[in-house]
Amino acid sequence: MAKGKAPSRVDVLQGTLDLMVLKTLESLGPLHGYGIARRIEQISDALLKLNEGTVYASLMRLQQEGRISSSWGTSENNRKAKFYAITIRGRRQLTAETENWERIAAVMSRLLRTVEHV
Amino acid sequence: MWSPLAPLHSRLSFVLSRRRLDDEASRELESHLEMLSERYINSGMSPDDARLAARRQLGNITLVREDIYRMNSIQWLDTLMQDGRHALRLLVRNPSFATVVIATLALGVGANVAIFSVVHSVLLKPLPYAAPDEIYSAEIVIPERIELIPSVPATVQMFWEWRAASTVFSGMTALRPWEANLVGDGEPQRVGAARVSANFFEFLGVPLAIGRGFAIEEEQPGRDRVVVISDALWRSRYAADSNLVGRAIAINGESHTVVGIAPPRLLVPTGTRLHALVPFAPRVDIWRPIAPTAAELKQESWDHGVLVRLPAGASLETGTQQLTAILNERTRRAMPGANIVATMRFVPIRETYAGKIRVRLLLILAASSLLLLAACASIANLFMARVATRAHEFATRVALGAGRTRILSQTLAEAMLLAGCGGAVAAAFAIYGARLFAAFGPEEVRAMGAASPNLPLLLFGLMVTLATGLAAGVVPAWQSYRRESIQELRAAARAALGGHQAARSRAILVGIETALATILLGASGLLLHSFTKVMTTERGYEVDRILAADLSLFGRQYASASARAAFYTGVLDKIRALPGVVSAGAISNLPAVAVWEGASRTILYDTDANLQSVVLARPVAMIRGVTDGYFTSSGTSLKAGRILTGDEQTLTAVISEALARRLWPGQPLETMLGRSIRQGSHLVPLMTIVGIVADTLPGGLDREPPPVVYRPYGQWSSGPMTLVVRTAQEPRALAAAIRAEIRSMDANLPILDVRTMKEIVSATVAERRFQMQLTSLFGLVALLLGVVGVYGVVSYNVACRTRDIGLRIALGAASGDVARWVFSQGMGPVVIGVAAGLVGTIATAVSARSLLFGITPIDPLSLGGVALVLLLTSSVACYLPARRAAALDPITALRTE
Repeated sequence: MAKGKAPSRVDVLQGTLDLMVLKTLESLGPLHGYGIARRIEQISDALLKLNEGTVYASLMRLQQEGRISSSWGTSENNRKAKFYAITIRGRRQLTAETENWERIAAVMSRLLRTVEHV
Repeated sequence: MWSPLAPLHSRLSFVLSRRRLDDEASRELESHLEMLSERYINSGMSPDDARLAARRQLGNITLVREDIYRMNSIQWLDTLMQDGRHALRLLVRNPSFATVVIATLALGVGANVAIFSVVHSVLLKPLPYAAPDEIYSAEIVIPERIELIPSVPATVQMFWEWRAASTVFSGMTALRPWEANLVGDGEPQRVGAARVSANFFEFLGVPLAIGRGFAIEEEQPGRDRVVVISDALWRSRYAADSNLVGRAIAINGESHTVVGIAPPRLLVPTGTRLHALVPFAPRVDIWRPIAPTAAELKQESWDHGVLVRLPAGASLETGTQQLTAILNERTRRAMPGANIVATMRFVPIRETYAGKIRVRLLLILAASSLLLLAACASIANLFMARVATRAHEFATRVALGAGRTRILSQTLAEAMLLAGCGGAVAAAFAIYGARLFAAFGPEEVRAMGAASPNLPLLLFGLMVTLATGLAAGVVPAWQSYRRESIQELRAAARAALGGHQAARSRAILVGIETALATILLGASGLLLHSFTKVMTTERGYEVDRILAADLSLFGRQYASASARAAFYTGVLDKIRALPGVVSAGAISNLPAVAVWEGASRTILYDTDANLQSVVLARPVAMIRGVTDGYFTSSGTSLKAGRILTGDEQTLTAVISEALARRLWPGQPLETMLGRSIRQGSHLVPLMTIVGIVADTLPGGLDREPPPVVYRPYGQWSSGPMTLVVRTAQEPRALAAAIRAEIRSMDANLPILDVRTMKEIVSATVAERRFQMQLTSLFGLVALLLGVVGVYGVVSYNVACRTRDIGLRIALGAASGDVARWVFSQGMGPVVIGVAAGLVGTIATAVSARSLLFGITPIDPLSLGGVALVLLLTSSVACYLPARRAAALDPITALRTE
């Protein structure tokens, strides 16, 4: 992701997806790519119906940023699968980003409500 | 918005394992696809529909993999490696092109770096003394004697007065040649030595490795039996014995105590570098304090070199005035009637080491620079032709979507790869070349020590190579890339191949190469001709079948003149008895090497009653002692009268023609026989002239022959003599026998090399020869480059214009006409280049006239010969493609694209 550039729509989607993956791993613990995709599907139908593959791009990005780690293991149905887990740094950044989002959401809702009144 | 990128090293680990990561990602996506398909199958879909739905849900697997792969790559590094591999492949497919470019670069740049490192160590590197720029050599100039000798060194008395009274110079030291015969601790050996003032090593600012220098009290006879020896002698003769300091060694039959060992890389003037009249041996290994005896002091010998230090801020003018005043005061006191007014000159010490060789070295540097230029022109030509060939390929690639910068970066990679290889070979070449130069080059270079190119110089060479590669490789290509549309590109491609502008650039380059080759070859032709003149000039003595051996008598048993005479008579008799010896004699200073060295005296007429009144008007002559048999052995021809025998009853002398003409200008030689002269002062007895011989020139032929007075050995018996033996056959075969005879007379005498006269003379012209050989080498390389260039360009032109040629033939041109047309097109720039080159050669020769002997700068033989060689070789280079062109089948030619 480029620093300092006004985030384009793709970037925002990327960033949002990264956040969702991170949150998933924080809540559900170590999970493989398929499992993460199912959980995100549950939570956000509209966004990811068509391109589950991008989860893996997101996972690679998060690994490069040091926010998650990976290791090979065996899944529920005895398949070899790569499991991902959140790191301490990931947790810290997740908290920070969550606060960020909530702040933005609060400001946006206040703004929109104010406009309505006028 | 999001956190910054991961630190570099973790990024690197991703890059290094990207292939594995890609593999894993692929597996993950596959299994994801399967699990999705299973889910759809479980929800009731048919397997095919399930798979389709799963795929749609997963999205484009390839895109995801590519995305991940790109995340794990460093873009620019990938591009670079790809360009590099591509360039390597291209060059491997065209090995001749690559080889020629690399070889050309290596030769051009390597030669320059090698020579520049030599120039640096001889001319630029600071001398290994404390504050070397402060040191000057002090010389006395007597205006009336300038035509005979430009300056003279000082006497020891002069030095003492200067030392006592000088206030401007911060230090002063004197040195004069000495000879040390060592006996004990090994074979009898004669080493070059010097007698120096006590502060010699402090003056130079060079601390001794072991022990001490001299104390001022040791400058007195009786207290001066102390010596400092050199590091080399300490190691070779005394096995680096650390207890040598304090021990006594036998020098010249007397005991001397070693008080110090000099440091390994001490640089001292050797040979006649300091002054022509202060001749040291080729190596100086022992130093002893100057301590003249009363007898030596009575004779004012002008043979002491004096070095002074001018501290920063002091004025050389004031110093000169001061010393000159003291000098003239003393001269007035010593010779009141003579009216000598001398001046002084101060020569920076750097000049004494580098002065004579400067012109030669700079010329060699100029020659190698020319070679580099020729190499660059050659490479530019090669690259231009190559780019033109690939113009179509580039046009197509641009049409297919390749970025122009990408193509440019590829050409750049190619050029850089070639330049890099060329640079590496050039570096190896430079190191090896510098070593060769130092080993076989002129003596000045060898004396300054190893001239290995240092790291900055090598890096500079590498940069030059890269810059050359860049310029030659990329600049011609750049022009092709400024086109926009495919049509323009195609047109440009055709233009690049056969257009006027490109052809003209190539012609100009050929002209430049030819001109440079002409200059280099012309210079070497002149030097070669000059050298043959030097070798064949009459020197006044013969060179073939003559052996020379230096001997020096020392020790108490040879203290008397009669003892010395008896020795030489004895040894010569023994040598004459050897089979194969035609005749033998001896002389005090061999003309080939020492024509201007040794004793010299003012010559007075028998009517001169007073030395002082005429001293400046009388000639100064070298005095030589000769045994009987010398003149016949050396082949010096007699012009009038007779030669000296071993049995002269009265004081006699034989003089050289130069002296005869000075003493009695214009008179026939026969009339001079029987006249009397005096040498040195009006108080010595007269001597009668009994013969006049031809002048003798020094081996290197770089000076005028001096006036010489030859005395019979019985009347002028010097200790050191050179035996001259004429042999019937190959002289070298008798060397061992002669050595044995000498040893049988006295086993303790050190014998220097017994050498043939041919070797001796050859050594005196070594510098000249080296320069000639080196320049010739450059010339030949330049010729090769030029001829290959001409051939390449003409062949190339023929290939480009195949359609044109085919058209001409089809329209009725005779094959002879076609051949002539191609030939004249090719030779045109060559002829112009040769003409320009000849002008350049003449200009260079005029400015470096001092290096030419016996020929003018416009020597027709050399210049004509060079022009002929160039025109002939280029003609052949043009003729071959011309013949090919004439033999073209017009139909095939016309069909060529």
